Amino acid sequence: MVVPLNTWVLISNFKLAYNLLRRPDGTFNRHLAEFLDRKVPANANPVDGVFSFDVLIDRGTSLLSRIYRPTTAEEPQPNIAELEKPVTAEVVPVIIFFHGGSFAHSSANSAIYDTLCRRLVRLCKAVVVSVNYRHAPENRYPCAYDDGWTALKWVNSRPWLQSQKDSKVHIYLAGDSSGGNIAHHVALRAIESGIDVLGNILLNPMFGGQERTESEKRLDGKYFVTLRDRDWYWRAYLPEGEDRDHPACNPFGPNGRSLEGIKFPKSLVVVAGLDLIQDWQLAYVEGLKKAGQEVKLLYMEQATIGFYLLPNNNHFHTVMDEISKFVSSDC
Amino acid sequence: MVLYDSATLGGSCSGSSSSSSSSKPPPLQQRQQTQQDIDGLLAGAGYRVRSSELRKVAQRLERLETAMVNSPADLSQLASDTIHYNPSDLASWVDSLLSEFTQPPTCPSEFIMDPETNQTVVSDAWTTAEPHMPQVHQNISYEQQSLNNQLTVDNQLTVVTAMEEDSGIRLVHMLMTCAECVQRGDFSLATSCLEDMQGLLTRVNTVCGIGKVAGHFIDALSRRIFQGIGGGSINGGSAYENEILYHHFYEACPYLKFAHFTANQAILEAFDGHDCVHVVDFNLMHGLQWPALIQALALRPGGPPLLRLTGIGPPSPDGRDSLREIGLRLAELARSVNVRFAFRGVAASRLEDVKPWMLQVNPKESVAVNSIMQLHRLLGSDLNRNSPIETVLSWIRSLNPKIMTVVEQEANHNQPGFLDRFTEALHYYSTMFDSLEACTVQPNKGLAEIYIQREIANVVSCEGSARVERHEPLSKWRTRLSGAGFRPLHLGSNAYKQASMLLTLFSAEGYSVEENDGCLTLGWHS
Repeated sequence: MVVPLNTWVLISNFKLAYNLLRRPDGTFNRHLAEFLDRKVPANANPVDGVFSFDVLIDRGTSLLSRIYRPTTAEEPQPNIAELEKPVTAEVVPVIIFFHGGSFAHSSANSAIYDTLCRRLVRLCKAVVVSVNYRHAPENRYPCAYDDGWTALKWVNSRPWLQSQKDSKVHIYLAGDSSGGNIAHHVALRAIESGIDVLGNILLNPMFGGQERTESEKRLDGKYFVTLRDRDWYWRAYLPEGEDRDHPACNPFGPNGRSLEGIKFPKSLVVVAGLDLIQDWQLAYVEGLKKAGQEVKLLYMEQATIGFYLLPNNNHFHTVMDEISKFVSSDC
Repeated sequence: MVLYDSATLGGSCSGSSSSSSSSKPPPLQQRQQTQQDIDGLLAGAGYRVRSSELRKVAQRLERLETAMVNSPADLSQLASDTIHYNPSDLASWVDSLLSEFTQPPTCPSEFIMDPETNQTVVSDAWTTAEPHMPQVHQNISYEQQSLNNQLTVDNQLTVVTAMEEDSGIRLVHMLMTCAECVQRGDFSLATSCLEDMQGLLTRVNTVCGIGKVAGHFIDALSRRIFQGIGGGSINGGSAYENEILYHHFYEACPYLKFAHFTANQAILEAFDGHDCVHVVDFNLMHGLQWPALIQALALRPGGPPLLRLTGIGPPSPDGRDSLREIGLRLAELARSVNVRFAFRGVAASRLEDVKPWMLQVNPKESVAVNSIMQLHRLLGSDLNRNSPIETVLSWIRSLNPKIMTVVEQEANHNQPGFLDRFTEALHYYSTMFDSLEACTVQPNKGLAEIYIQREIANVVSCEGSARVERHEPLSKWRTRLSGAGFRPLHLGSNAYKQASMLLTLFSAEGYSVEENDGCLTLGWHS
């Protein structure tokens, strides 16, 4: 199994750096993590047709989000007052994006996620709102979900994000790794609330359970990820004393909730064939199917984690195509 | 074990077996063709690696992993004690970690893809043992930090009520229109804009948010239109007034504290092992930076050095010698902690009037040159002679300092076009005012705001030699300092951690430190 050299360097670098950050006693070296994380500032000057700016959504929790917007032909260079100018198209998808990092790493302004969000804007002609949710272990369950929910409410209530067609905000939830997990749980919270989520996009979503599945045993340590580090991150996120059958980790497990008869958004779930937690991700897809929910599975046999970070492989392009179709199919 | 190869266009991956089968040729903008090029995709992720070195870096990463697995004790030390530098330079970072391991890693057989035959080749050991090259600290090195207060970006224009939002946005529109008129020379239109804006101001909350900063910009525009660009009363503030305002700015928000703290840390490290040291402060003010350094030197293992401090500042009118007064106080402090100390004041109205002989640098001493927000004042160019910045940098260089600490505002306020400058300043100072709001309420805040207001007035309403607030971004300073013969000294994870911890002590929510290619920046909500 081969990955491109630069991808290998990138992911290995993360792997080794992250090894330094996770302490055996369950604490996390946050200062070193922030020092090592490569960040980029927002940029209101358009680059390749996309500009971005940061917004403080909730002062109480210091919840920041980075908003990415496409430039329009009429307004190629937005100025300071135009950042929140109303969207003009009939239908504008607004993708609320939750970055990955196993709940502990990365931020909305991490370079890898800034790049990914910009791609999503261009690909889907969407506005992307990347949520800088609070990290574990300093902030355990349900903080990340709370932050996601706050962001969802905020996005839904922005008049300037409403599509012209129906004066509503067309919302999608998306995320990779822990972000995928957050997207699911935020969609769950949205169900009773009257906020319409048009679709969930889950890239290598982070799920798990107490049981050791076949894929976990087979792929442990083989492709950048070990069971041990997965266990560490769950212990850091889940409430103390809880095990991995907690519904946050295992939504269709023994403590899970049935989604039968519930109006849950359609889902696009991407699973990498070399990801050791794929059995849990496939079980998630099964769980949705059994509950009669609409779900499309993209199983990328030869893909490792992080394949969507660099556009140097076929899986990347396949997945991007599918995402763009998924988001545009509501027009 | 994951193998890697260097095919650039993803052709090495076998097709995916997904439920849909569209395929698209990879994009053409990958820049991996020439050996000299930095890998464009890794650059997008924040890492600088030359394509030609990718394989080598990959091998080093593998070595590092093996080392980490084989000696877990070293791993925890690596995690807690080691100082990391400049993570963007991936090759150096990996090498520096590798050098921390006490034993050479024992490598099991390693599988490499032979690019020619595409067959695996097993090698038993590393072909060469590459010794780690320690970073050589030469006599000249500089270190740079800058204050990153945001600019080409973000903005915290969010105002409380919907009505205010509207008026706030209208105010911004009008400010831009007015500035544009000024740039075009249409002063009558600019004047009527001003009147409209004054009117709008009455309907907007001027206590915080856009209303507050807009008021200052309106004032600055008024000055420019009615009083001309000579500066007049702004720069006429007495040295004494300036010191007071500076002191309040120091107290009210963390920017200067961060600057002093981080610079002192670097100076302390540079002076390690030296017995005669000399600090040259380009702007002494009340000497707020130095008690902490004196204390730290007093406590250093092996005892304090002989410390000389040369403080540069404007001459004081009315017979006072404020430089000397500050020097005396610092001397008393030094005496109380048993640090042999000597002070010299150099009075100069402009930094470019200072000549190196005035500093009386002794060839045997280790010199630290400390410039907190002074260098940008030298960027005004006089067509008749060398630009002052070059002259000053050159004599600093000639002093052969052990270290030069530079703090500057991370902003682009020196562009030739007025409208561009105005726009940047509007962004920057809006955020700055917001960040000030976030700090705990103190009596200092009002005067701190006046301090900032003076900067705004200078950027907007002055030109030529009167315009001294010529802030330029980090990248420009890097180039300029390198060009003058200085080598960057990277601030590492220890300085980063200390600065971050200091922030939590001194300030409110929203401030954060970032590492940027060896430099530390302090920003607010971005």
